[in-house]
Amino acid sequence: MNRAVLRTLVASVLLLALAFVGGAQAQKLVDIDLWLLQAVTEAGPPPDDWVGYQIIRDKLGINLKLTLQPSSFSDQDTKISVAAASNTLPDLFGVNRDMLVKIAKQGLVAQVDSLLPLMPERTKTHYSDPLRNKLVQINKKMYGLPDPGAMDRVEGLVIRKDWLDKLGLKVPTTLDELLVVARAFTEKDPDGNGKADTYGFGAFYESSSLATIGFGRRFDYIMGAFGVAGTWNFESAKKFQFNFRDPNFRKAVEFIKKINDEKLIDQTWSAPNKDEFRARWKQGKFGIWWEQFAALSTKANYKDFDANFPDGEIIPILPPKGPQGKSSNGLDQANARIYAVSAKAMKDGKGPYIAKLLEWMATDGYYLLGFGVEGVNFNKDAKGYITMEGIDPANAYSQKAMQPLTQLRNMVYVNNDIELAVRYPTYKSANGKTMDPLAIWKFFVNSPYTQALGSQIIDPPSNVNDFTRFYNENLVKFALGQQPLNDKTWNEFVKGMDKLGAKEIEKTAKAKLIDAGLLD
Amino acid sequence: MRKIKSREELTFQIVTNVFLGLLLVIVILPLWRVFMLSVTPFKYSDDSFGLLVSPAKWTIEAYSQFLSHPSFLLAFRNSLIIMFGGLAINLFMTVPMAYSLSIRTLPGRKGLNVLVMIPFLFNPGLIPAYLVVTSLHLQNTFWAVMIPGAIGIYNMFIMRNFFAEIPIDLKEAARIDGASELFVLFRIVLPLSLPIMLTIGLFYAVGHWNEFFTPILYLNSNKLQPLPVLLRNILMGLNTNEFVEYDAFSQVSVQSLKAASIFITMLPMMMAYPWIQKYFVKGSLAGGIKG
Amino acid sequence: MADTSVSQSLDRATRSKGNRLWGEIVRHRAFYAMLFIPLVYFMIFKYGPLVNAQIAFKDFMALDGVWKSPWVGFKNFITFFSSIYFWELIRNTMFLSLGKLALGLPMAVILALAINESSMRRFKRFVQTVTYLPHFLSWVVMYGVLLLLLSPDEGLLNEIIKALGGKEIAFLQDPKWYPTVVILSDVWKEMGWSAIIYLAAITGIDPGLYEAAEVEGASRLKRIRYITLPGIVDVIVTIALLRLGTILDAGFHQIFMTYSVPVYSVGDIIDTWVYRQGVLDFQFSLATAVGLFKGVLGLSLVWAFNRLSRRYLDASLF
Repeated sequence: MNRAVLRTLVASVLLLALAFVGGAQAQKLVDIDLWLLQAVTEAGPPPDDWVGYQIIRDKLGINLKLTLQPSSFSDQDTKISVAAASNTLPDLFGVNRDMLVKIAKQGLVAQVDSLLPLMPERTKTHYSDPLRNKLVQINKKMYGLPDPGAMDRVEGLVIRKDWLDKLGLKVPTTLDELLVVARAFTEKDPDGNGKADTYGFGAFYESSSLATIGFGRRFDYIMGAFGVAGTWNFESAKKFQFNFRDPNFRKAVEFIKKINDEKLIDQTWSAPNKDEFRARWKQGKFGIWWEQFAALSTKANYKDFDANFPDGEIIPILPPKGPQGKSSNGLDQANARIYAVSAKAMKDGKGPYIAKLLEWMATDGYYLLGFGVEGVNFNKDAKGYITMEGIDPANAYSQKAMQPLTQLRNMVYVNNDIELAVRYPTYKSANGKTMDPLAIWKFFVNSPYTQALGSQIIDPPSNVNDFTRFYNENLVKFALGQQPLNDKTWNEFVKGMDKLGAKEIEKTAKAKLIDAGLLD
Repeated sequence: MRKIKSREELTFQIVTNVFLGLLLVIVILPLWRVFMLSVTPFKYSDDSFGLLVSPAKWTIEAYSQFLSHPSFLLAFRNSLIIMFGGLAINLFMTVPMAYSLSIRTLPGRKGLNVLVMIPFLFNPGLIPAYLVVTSLHLQNTFWAVMIPGAIGIYNMFIMRNFFAEIPIDLKEAARIDGASELFVLFRIVLPLSLPIMLTIGLFYAVGHWNEFFTPILYLNSNKLQPLPVLLRNILMGLNTNEFVEYDAFSQVSVQSLKAASIFITMLPMMMAYPWIQKYFVKGSLAGGIKG
Repeated sequence: MADTSVSQSLDRATRSKGNRLWGEIVRHRAFYAMLFIPLVYFMIFKYGPLVNAQIAFKDFMALDGVWKSPWVGFKNFITFFSSIYFWELIRNTMFLSLGKLALGLPMAVILALAINESSMRRFKRFVQTVTYLPHFLSWVVMYGVLLLLLSPDEGLLNEIIKALGGKEIAFLQDPKWYPTVVILSDVWKEMGWSAIIYLAAITGIDPGLYEAAEVEGASRLKRIRYITLPGIVDVIVTIALLRLGTILDAGFHQIFMTYSVPVYSVGDIIDTWVYRQGVLDFQFSLATAVGLFKGVLGLSLVWAFNRLSRRYLDASLF
């Protein structure tokens, strides 16, 4: 045969082969099923023609399939439970810590330590906090990726400054002073409307996990004044025990009972109703309460209070000091938005792809996922901060119609200054005051807190249901006066706790904490 | 004679209507309050328990929050599909079973009744049901929402009872004339059973219309979500308001939105029921005998 | 000879009995045909989950699936039985459920009767339409309504009490009052809707009977007692028995939305306890076990009352 023809033949065969392989590779997309903890619950997922999908496909070879988790936490947990039970967990999914531990124990999620070196930049900004990492560790191996969650120390004690001024009172710093102020708020008509319709304290019942049993977080500043905030005493290995054994604990309960008996606190404090609670401070029903800074002071949330009380003023204050000078704004707990990788996905070799995806999100994809397309949905100013100048306001990323575009932002946010500045901007209230939510947050950050990271890794006992109910029920009944509080009844309470296994729980927990290096 | 009767009649009517009137008041007041909640802007003072807020102050903000949502029409459409599709399946499955079990001479009737009774009493709960549905790969389709509940055992038993009341002579007459059982069912029994069919149909339809738990479990895609899920998401969104900086929503209070979502859900049923009421004609059964 | 003929006729008798049965089955073949698809559905979607319910006796491991998870016998049941609140849960559940049934069913029947007897056409239609609406209120919204009425400082009821010189009562947080609130609010919510079925039943009663009674001079009350009620007693019994069967479902959503720690002692029911257990401790097997337990109890109750009602009221479920 002609040499030239042969050469052409070979060349074309080779070319064809290359094209085939190349084409096949281009078509060989890896499917990644992601169950997302979306940013805005009722906005839908990004549209099918979202540029992000395209980029992920072309640059990373991944076909990303998004599902938005249901809106409430219990629904999320249910959905993950059933998926876990039927062994159909998606490749990558958002999950809360307690659920993660449960399904990890069943072997349904993969160890992710091996993925960290595959996404160096992301690990630097997301996974370098040893405390947060501890949240996802079982036997010192990581079973989830703890993205930075909500900011830390976002809640604290606040008071109606305008009421203090009207009654000529100073900001209280000790528990006794706080009590005096509360009495004045209740009895001396601080809003001047001629009706006896105000209370000193306000709270609602918020106890969700073993770490926050008892009266719940809204009362931690009172418990903390007695040095017994939270379920456990983490001061040292020697002192480690349930706080209820501390004699000061009983004094704290007696204090709460006192303010209840004297009707210094909004009477529905024992009901778990957050919406009602929030509506009530906006209606000016009480003057001292514990709240989250954004729920208190961002424009959307402050608006109703502003409308009702244009001259009202709410300021953060330091938690009161108790008889021994102790104080606490609440529990310091590490906070994370955890994403887990299913064991199946890891086995199928999708691990490195997931790492690639996450790395891209944290680096090149940061602005796209966090704020949209530059020049269309947002712009950057000289200092690199986000601004809306120069773009059509209808396309601003915060507009309702644009919300689907940034549903993945919680996977890239790291709570840096740029993000915070745009998420919590300052604004002017109805009567011209400048409101600065971040300032309130910074105040809280600098307040004293009780360290309680350990509580999050203590495994609940098998009878945690009964244990928690007995604990909560007795304390609340003591405070409400539904059962008498004296030496006899208190001892019965303690005995009851021991009968439910308090001592064994302490022993196991202590060993685990020492082993994890959280107690010494 | 007549006079006594009419006086007794009068007393009876007075008592009955006063009683109904009282019940009406007891029911309407809270309902009215919920409606008020849905149309009043956030107020500080509770004007006489929020019952007498003048229409001038009303706002439809809460309703527009839901109705103007981009996914509202889609969710509404999905709910309609689930409701009508589900209802069709319900009736198609429940009627034959209820009718067959109502035949007193059916051999094995007792055993079949027990067979049906058992799953009614023993509800193994979420996980076992979920496992069945996923093993059939029904998830993320409307079938997963419409099929597992195809026969509500409670509804079926009630329907069976009504069928059992149909006088046997009517059926026998047709059979002697050579009619098939299907003919008897469709041409004689069903027309006489209009009230119960409508009632049970209403029960099923309302059940589907309000369904949100099964859609949350089985329908992953946002495009398939029905109205209750959307409404729930919007309401839940307010709870995480602390983390969201957008002031796109929460122009009205949470309670207003909750109340508005109720009325939005209620509206189709409120409109359908009077229409159904017309068919609750007395003596529909007796009419059959005479005819 | 006699034996043979006896045995022969016996033979004939039994054979024809067997033939008779088969004859009956064939005669009813249309009905069996009608039952076919529903029964298939039943097997898959009602009994399928029941088969999976074996996880109540196992330590369910998702990876192993239903069949390969290890058997643990009655361990899950014992966890439930050994809760220190077990008897309290049973008591609360039964009390609230029976209370709702004992008050709710008669109320619904009386409402249906009243609507039926009223001669003010438009009024009664209006009443009917309005009274069923609360059925659509979710307990999330109902909680707000209850607060409006019962809240200690601003509730309507307490305003009245205070005006009359009394001390305010925190109805929702007071164990003495909570069960009453639960029962009454549920009756309020459901009576109109429950009445629908009785109204439908009443339309099935032969008006000829009423005419005859009127001619004989029977009073309205007599007519209700001797015509209307007997005419719907079947439906009433059916519904009552069905509700007895599910007596241990005392209304999870209602309790969950309205209860709080101070009223656990009277408000905590089986389902809320199981819910908290599940939230705190991923236990499918436990929830399934409790479900089976409820079923066994429900079955016994239905069986017992079914026999009673068959005997005394000549109406039964099966």
